[in-house]
Amino acid sequence: MISLEIFGAWLAVLLTLCILSFLYDDNPFYKAAEHLYIGMSAGYALVMAFWQGVRPNLFGRLWPQIPTDENSSLFQTIWYSIYDFFNLITTGFGIFDRSIFPEGGIPEYDEIKLIYLIPFILGIFMLLRLVPKVGWLARWAIAYIVGMAAGLRFYRYLTSDILAQIQASAVDFSLDWVGVINGLILFIGTLTGLVYFFFSSEHKGSIGTLSKIGIYFLMIKFGASFGYAVMGRISLLIGRIDELKQFSTSEYHYATPILSIFIIICLAIWTFAGKGVSREHSVS
Amino acid sequence: MNRIKNILVSLGSLDRRVIFIIVGLSVLIPLLKPDWVSLPIKNKAHSQRVFDELNLLEPNSKVLLSFDYGPSTMPEIHPMAIALLRHMFAKNIKVYGIALWDTGNFMSTDAFSQVSKEFEIAYDKDYVNLGYKPGGEAVIQGLTSDFRTKYKSDLSGNNIDHLLLMKNVNNLEDFDFVISLSAGDPGSKQWVQFGTDPSNIPFTTGCTSIQVTDIIPYVENNQILGILEGMPGAAEYESLVETELHTMGVSLTPGKASSMMSAQSIAHIVIVLFIIFGNISYFSRRREDRNNS
Repeated sequence: MISLEIFGAWLAVLLTLCILSFLYDDNPFYKAAEHLYIGMSAGYALVMAFWQGVRPNLFGRLWPQIPTDENSSLFQTIWYSIYDFFNLITTGFGIFDRSIFPEGGIPEYDEIKLIYLIPFILGIFMLLRLVPKVGWLARWAIAYIVGMAAGLRFYRYLTSDILAQIQASAVDFSLDWVGVINGLILFIGTLTGLVYFFFSSEHKGSIGTLSKIGIYFLMIKFGASFGYAVMGRISLLIGRIDELKQFSTSEYHYATPILSIFIIICLAIWTFAGKGVSREHSVS
Repeated sequence: MNRIKNILVSLGSLDRRVIFIIVGLSVLIPLLKPDWVSLPIKNKAHSQRVFDELNLLEPNSKVLLSFDYGPSTMPEIHPMAIALLRHMFAKNIKVYGIALWDTGNFMSTDAFSQVSKEFEIAYDKDYVNLGYKPGGEAVIQGLTSDFRTKYKSDLSGNNIDHLLLMKNVNNLEDFDFVISLSAGDPGSKQWVQFGTDPSNIPFTTGCTSIQVTDIIPYVENNQILGILEGMPGAAEYESLVETELHTMGVSLTPGKASSMMSAQSIAHIVIVLFIIFGNISYFSRRREDRNNS
């Protein structure tokens, strides 16, 4: 009997090996796994965005589950008839079970917030990009997003990144000599790095010397970033290999060795059939 | 001399697939045979600072732990989550899990369930898992003013007003410490800018290696109190927690990151050697070309 866990392990091993097979050459196994990954990611992101974002935060605020009785206002009755109309469409006129719009409203909030009609309309404008004649309406929504994001981020960025970092680059002479030297290096690095990005005058003479020192500081930064990037990628490789090792036992019906042999044989056949290794790869 | 040079030049001109196999073996062998290669783990000041800051917290302190990562960065960050939870639960600290990444829900659920088997902890007594909310920095901004504008229920759908641990939690200022386990944006940076800097709350982070150089300026300026840097950071924290728990009389299975560090070190040595061989090969060829012309 193959349990869901064992099936999952075999699938994980197969997809890992398919992706790793790209190290040999671009091949159908890699392409299949890549397409599956992109499709799955897009589908997952869409579903999560709807069920975690749009439904509770937009529909949940426009049509919350509030108690209805004989005293319900005319507005409320009309408003919730629109909700029922949406439900009718999403259930295919009653063919499917209702899931997006449950009976009586969406739980969580207890007050209708009509202000959320603005994002609802802007959201529809965004979708109108698919209709060439009225596609220009999407610009309104984009303008709102850009303006809102810029306004929201500007002040915080200025405070935490610019002002706080300028403050941090000042040399504190009350520290011990190691701290003072460290502060001086930091100060020179910041200053010369900024001079390198100063393009209003030609980089000659003293400005040229300072910008050259700035380049060395930048190169040290790029070197550190590269080192950390290699470390990160190796960590991910270790993670995958550790999982392959875990799934190579009898508990998982030897998923890793069996699938490795299968993929190697298939790649060999594919290569000898003349479809693989399309170009010479060498390190130079 | 010429022979050695020729060997180095040919090593630097190896087919990339041979290099991949050698790097793969350098990772595989230490994982299969950990006794063959056992390298010590030395704690860096940044990991020690994270440990010390959390160690200063009183029992029953409230810590907000944000799971801002997913399965793709699990080998680097998940061991940090396990080690941090072990440390906090051993000190009887109350943990509030949230996520700014949709995949963070899987990570938090797995981490809490793993650690809850090791300690006698209960949901809504020692920890709560509030789950993912979309919006990134907007969520953080919302939490600084009113927690309930963003979270009405926990991950299981329980109304947060019915949760005992949420009784006196109204906004971010009600927490004693915030931790972000971050693999990108939204993550550590957004927590500093929108959450902990404006609210002046102690904050630390564990992040992927690739993020470290971007986050370090905040650490140097004490906007972030220490940092766990990728897998080595996780291994260092595991060893610190292991030592601490040992003194408390608690013995647990060793952490995952520690067991992987030998593979990491060996792979780095191999890569550094190939960079050197590649450079020797490049400069030798260039000199030959110049001499020929």
